[in-house]
Amino acid sequence: MPDKQLTREETTQRITEVTSVISHQLKTPLAGIKSSLEILLSGDLGEISVKQREYLALALDGSNKMIGLIKNLLDASRIDEGRMQLTSAPTDIGALAKTVVDDLITFAQAKNTTLSITLEENLPKTSVDAVKIHEVISNLVYNAIRYSKGKGTVVVAVRRDGHDILFSCADTGIGIGEGDKNKIFSKFYRSPNVSALAPDGSGLGLYISKAIVEKSGGKIWFESVEGKGSTFSFSLPIQ
Amino acid sequence: MADQKKILIIEDDKFLLKLYSDKLSREGFLVSMAISGEEGLGKVKQEKPDLVLLDVILPQKNGFDILGALKLDPETKDVPVVMLTNLGQESDIKTGLDLGAADYLVKTDFSITKLPEVVRKHIAIHGAAKNPISS
Repeated sequence: MPDKQLTREETTQRITEVTSVISHQLKTPLAGIKSSLEILLSGDLGEISVKQREYLALALDGSNKMIGLIKNLLDASRIDEGRMQLTSAPTDIGALAKTVVDDLITFAQAKNTTLSITLEENLPKTSVDAVKIHEVISNLVYNAIRYSKGKGTVVVAVRRDGHDILFSCADTGIGIGEGDKNKIFSKFYRSPNVSALAPDGSGLGLYISKAIVEKSGGKIWFESVEGKGSTFSFSLPIQ
Repeated sequence: MADQKKILIIEDDKFLLKLYSDKLSREGFLVSMAISGEEGLGKVKQEKPDLVLLDVILPQKNGFDILGALKLDPETKDVPVVMLTNLGQESDIKTGLDLGAADYLVKTDFSITKLPEVVRKHIAIHGAAKNPISS
């Protein structure tokens, strides 16, 4: 017997549930594929040629991207279902930002982009989920580097602003068109200039980042001029 | 080999079970396997492994139930258990560690090449706790 006509809300809920189940089911075989490739690349099963290494490394990169996408889909499902969990503890946002910048410096160099960080001294801690806020900062800084064109500059800054900690990430990248500005935090949305430059994104990073910052009691926003660059910022209350 | 360490892997996915067991065997460990919670629990008691690698989503009994049962039993409570699962939410990790897991690894985030190192580390920590050097 066919299902009764579902309401829009029921349909969304079903899509969310199916996404969540499929994503979980995909993680196990992907963990196996990733582990197999790592074993082959480590030379554990014998020497491999330069060409074999190149192909295996590409396959590993591909599986890591799939794992990242699945994580984002699961995060988005949890957000949609109101199940996103945060485990808060006193956190130094400046130290988190520094870790992200250190991790992405090689990626920035490969993209011919100068990445720097300015931290105000003696910043107070904020009570947030450090893992989740690290994810937000990684996403913003990674985007800033990724959407640079030519020789770019990305400046990360963390400072105190009244009762808040203010994080900002300013780039000289492609910027956001006027028509895209009100959709940039929407689920799965990717602006045409972004899709043209990097076709393989999921359109979930900013959606997830916004949900994390808001659930942490903060705000996230951006200023941008198309063709000149963007500054993404978020603030979190000092507690 | 007299000091060959025994590892019990409780994992229901045969692909992963083979990868983990082959990797540890190549590194000189004696590996035993179980593909369900009940089987795993029985094997810990029978075989007295030096360390257990434990998945969470398993048929019959889940990994957290097994961990809880192992930590309650005086015969098995001191066997170090490393969780190796795809449940990576903060709350899952907290549950595992609160129940007494020695470590909590998320399969998709963790490199299998590091597995022998982690296993050796926890066996060493456990050995040091069991036989403290008196000053």
